[in-house]
Amino acid sequence: MATVDIHRLVKRYGTEEVIHGIDLAIRDGEFISLIGASGCGKSTLLRMIAGLEDISGGTISIDGREVNDVAPKNRDIAMVFQNYALYPHLSVADNMGFSLKLRDVPKPEIKRAVAEAAELLGLTPYLERMPKALSGGQRQRVAMGRAIVRKPRVFLFDEPLSNLDAKLRVQMRTEIKALQRRLGTTSIYVTHDQIEAMTMSDRIVILNGGRVEQVGAPLDVYDRPANLFVATFIGSPAMNLIEATVRRDGDRLAADTDDGLRLPLDGYEVAEGTAVTVGVRPEHLTLAEAGTPGALAIAVDLIEPTGHETHVFGRLGRHQVVVAHSGRVTEAGSVFVTIAPGGLHLFDRTSGQRIDTAERS
Amino acid sequence: MRSLISTLPRRIGTAVAVALLVAWSLGPIYWSLVTSLTPPLHLLGTPSLWPREITFEHYAKLVGATSVSQGNAVQSVWPQFSAALVNSLVTSGLATVVTVVIAAFGAYAFVRLEFPGRDLLFVAVVATLAIPAYTVMIPLYRLMISLKLIDTYTGITLIYVSAFLPLALWLMRSVYQAMPISLEEAAWLDGAGRIYTLVHIVLPLSAPGLIASAILTFLNAWGQFMVPLVFSPTLATKPLTVLIPEFVTRNYIDFGLMNAAGILAIIPPVLLVLFLNRYLVSGLMAGATK
Repeated sequence: MATVDIHRLVKRYGTEEVIHGIDLAIRDGEFISLIGASGCGKSTLLRMIAGLEDISGGTISIDGREVNDVAPKNRDIAMVFQNYALYPHLSVADNMGFSLKLRDVPKPEIKRAVAEAAELLGLTPYLERMPKALSGGQRQRVAMGRAIVRKPRVFLFDEPLSNLDAKLRVQMRTEIKALQRRLGTTSIYVTHDQIEAMTMSDRIVILNGGRVEQVGAPLDVYDRPANLFVATFIGSPAMNLIEATVRRDGDRLAADTDDGLRLPLDGYEVAEGTAVTVGVRPEHLTLAEAGTPGALAIAVDLIEPTGHETHVFGRLGRHQVVVAHSGRVTEAGSVFVTIAPGGLHLFDRTSGQRIDTAERS
Repeated sequence: MRSLISTLPRRIGTAVAVALLVAWSLGPIYWSLVTSLTPPLHLLGTPSLWPREITFEHYAKLVGATSVSQGNAVQSVWPQFSAALVNSLVTSGLATVVTVVIAAFGAYAFVRLEFPGRDLLFVAVVATLAIPAYTVMIPLYRLMISLKLIDTYTGITLIYVSAFLPLALWLMRSVYQAMPISLEEAAWLDGAGRIYTLVHIVLPLSAPGLIASAILTFLNAWGQFMVPLVFSPTLATKPLTVLIPEFVTRNYIDFGLMNAAGILAIIPPVLLVLFLNRYLVSGLMAGATK
């Protein structure tokens, strides 16, 4: 168990900088996810922590000790690879015991440790098998077993579930989380799947173009995205965005769109004339009866039932919007919606940064 | 019916092509075998596709203590033949082991280590394959004289290694390039060093490549004629390829003996290929990833 501190971390390939001075403090025993679109630098960051990529600038410290120049094998880190990277010529037991054998651990002790890890992962009947005789999920578990058997200070996961089918992915997600809870080992988990990040993590780190956009607990990030990137990246279907300008109407502020829509901005203190983007999550648009005060009319384009909820795609003025309704929706040319209390997010359109209500900021 | 008409000419074509190919590669061996079993007198008559009368006298001359040739009891050539056989085995074997070991480690460096001029160096090594042997023969001879390596196993082995290493390096490099690096990374994180990873993870998985390099090198070395002709003047290192043509004497070409020796000389490489072939299995990497 350990803390991991990343300070002003930079990665350059030749002259091209791909990671631009990242700061991140990971707490002891924390499960933290790095999430972002492909090419955002999340895997590079993970590989730098592992020692598989050189550090161009800044420092990485594990338990307060800088490890920039420490070889991977001396960092006491275990990594689960996206493609599992099992040694195909070794049995499951030998795969799992490989690291202990290298540390000159006596044979009976290796056997006991492997048996214990196998028990934990349900691999006991497969210990003598070769990797090629295992299913994808079993191989994934062996890769996990290889990581946990030597009780490292930090676990690194590089998209470990992306090669599994959807059902198995959900199952393994739960298993990994439960295992991490049980072992209490600091874990850094790279994924592009926001559901994985949201469900498993204590905190998530949203990366974009080699920079950290936001760090926070999953629900905090969801409820209060720091900027437009995070707002649209987290949440599915994505947050609806409506471009508007702040206008004062008497003593109340409102966001006016150029097609005549007016959204009240109660509690905000924004200079009049500011170009803003209003964000509303699909589930915060509530279907309402025609004539409800403040109800907005949406011209319906498409209704998509997913079973547990229904997605209504349509146009609010000239803005494309999605409404997520928890019940069933019958076909209609138009529907009326209201914005749920607290369901409105405001962003400065120039900087993309979140604007909070007066009492919060 | 239509499919039969359209596939029949194609199948006949394939069969003919295969037959030609087999005749092309096995024909000379068969002819050699027939010659080695034909009595000397018949060899001078009209050639025939199979021996009218089988004799083992050529083989007796090779392996027996004495034998009968043209009615006279003569000394057999076993001492020379056996010495040359040992020389062939030793030089080819040494060249194979040294080449494969250097290629296994060298190619890994060319793939996984980063050093300035890496790719240029590799191209330079492989480019030596394009240089014909005879262009370097004279300078090489001078070099070997000054190093006192003429007619020594060391000298011959060194020449073979320098000649066959580029091909083996090339082959092993592509084998390593095809191997997922995550396996090695997993081993490093598990606590293994570079050499340990290479020996315990990479090499076992590269067995097919190593065996292919070994077979190629051994066959190349076994069939060498020019190099030993120049660098192996005596039976200290002279291999079969150079000894066998010496059965041509001033007044008699011993076709039967040459062919009998040739047939025996085929056996070691055939055995080697048959033996190593079992390890040339595919699918060794199955189960490593995904």
